[in-house]
Amino acid sequence: MTVSTYFQPDSLPEALALLGEHGPDLLVIAGGTVAMPLINEGISLPAKVMGLRRVGLGGIEQRGDRLAIGAMATLTALTTLQEVPLLAEAARHTASWAVRNMGTVGGNLFTPPPGGDVATALLALDAQVELVGPAGARLLPLSGFWTGFMTTAAGPDELVARIVVPVAPGRHAFVKLGRKAANTPAVVTVAVRAAMDGEAVRDVRIALGAAGPHPLRSAGAEAAVEGRALTPEVIASAAGAAAEDAQPFSDQVASTWYRRRMVGVMVGRALAQLASAEQRGA
Amino acid sequence: MASVVVAFELGGRPVEVLVSPLATLQQVLRTQLGHTSVKDGCRQGGCGSCTVLLDGEPVLSCLLPVEDVAGRRVTTLEDLTPVDGLTTVQRAFLDANGFQCGYCTPGMELVTKALLERNPAPTRADIAEALSGNVCRCTGYVPIIAAVEAAAAAGSAAAVVASEGATR
Ligand SMILES: Cc1cc2nc3c(=O)[nH]c(=O)nc-3n(C[C@H](O)[C@H](O)[C@H](O)COP(=O)(O)OP(=O)(O)OC[C@H]3O[C@@H](n4cnc5c(N)ncnc54)[C@H](O)[C@@H]3O)c2cc1C
Ligand code: FES
Ligand code: FES
Repeated sequence: MTVSTYFQPDSLPEALALLGEHGPDLLVIAGGTVAMPLINEGISLPAKVMGLRRVGLGGIEQRGDRLAIGAMATLTALTTLQEVPLLAEAARHTASWAVRNMGTVGGNLFTPPPGGDVATALLALDAQVELVGPAGARLLPLSGFWTGFMTTAAGPDELVARIVVPVAPGRHAFVKLGRKAANTPAVVTVAVRAAMDGEAVRDVRIALGAAGPHPLRSAGAEAAVEGRALTPEVIASAAGAAAEDAQPFSDQVASTWYRRRMVGVMVGRALAQLASAEQRGA
Repeated sequence: MASVVVAFELGGRPVEVLVSPLATLQQVLRTQLGHTSVKDGCRQGGCGSCTVLLDGEPVLSCLLPVEDVAGRRVTTLEDLTPVDGLTTVQRAFLDANGFQCGYCTPGMELVTKALLERNPAPTRADIAEALSGNVCRCTGYVPIIAAVEAAAAAGSAAAVVASEGATR
């Protein structure tokens, strides 16, 4: 191993100062479940590494009608989050117990394709990302966070400090298709959140994971159901629109063709779940 | 590359090691501390053979910089095994043919211990979910799940005996 220094800052200001000083030469790691395999394999050969486990960003706190989740909160911590059941469900369907004990919610935003399952749920929840840098903190909608394949709007001198999630009544559905029942990379992940107005769906968000370079919302599927009751016809047209909006890829898990087909099927299943869901917080 | 000293608790005893930056807990346990029950299957987080308990929670030592465990409590299978005899979980794996080559066994048994501490009467689905990060290339998993069920039954029988003893 060629690492010359492993920095373990004790606070966010200290971490930002190190980032400013060492710039792009410094590899940031959080839970390490994405970064360490690459280092162990020799694919990533950083000279300097900074770990965030001691910066004190693991807490989850209520901020008015929002939940501010520290970037270093583990996936395990999310699994029991009662305020946002969609997020808890997504976390329970992510990786294995030991990986969830290590992996963080912040790191999930940076997961290479097939991408983060928790990140997909956060996109459906209209989450915001709190970035901190030398100029202070800024809040960015998660929908504007990913800019392309493995690129984000976070500057080289910024860290993700928190993820802010609205807590609102409504319904949700989470469907993940993998090749086995647990601890499986996604063929496709679908997260849906909506407010209900009687039978009609309002403010619907339909997020697709493993269906593009990063989690995406399907504008076509959202338009197909917004303001309507979830009849089988409405669900079928939304499923078709989602399959068209997807930008799927081939990997060891699934082909482009299969992923596109499954985006339609899984969006259909998620909306059918939404139609039958008990009224509960999403 | 300046070496650094890291101090943590291993099996209830304080240890201090001199390591190179970002050395993994797996490397240090196997090569410097002789805890070779911690296996080296993939170094990718994908097999679970390197599982240890960190403050009682299962983690993968191949993905954990040893510097991150400074001041914390690490437990491996060496630390749990009595000098003579076996733990309830080990006995159950042996009796149920829960291993063949044994490479996955330390990880399987540590996760089983952590599971039974949190959930003394797990369903088969609970067991499969808890062990979903631990790969076995030999057994086909059926005997492993049976072993965990047997360990749970033996554990609850022992707990009943203990509580009956306490009320007498
Ligand atoms: C066996 C296995 C199974 C997995 N299964 C799944 C799965 O089913 N679903 C899923 O979604 N993921 C899965 N993953 C991927 C991974 O575990 C999760 O995405 C996890 O949330 C990543 O978080 P981390 O903290 O470990 O990331 P790290 O590896 O620590 O971080 C990766 C990169 O993200 C950046 N980063 C992280 N945190 C910050 C921050 N606060 N500020 C700025 N940059 C930051 C850094 O550039 C860092 O190098 C799996 C991984 C493994 C090994
Ligand atoms: S060696 Fe750590 S998970 Fe395989
Ligand atoms: S007994 Fe051989 S890998 Fe499980």
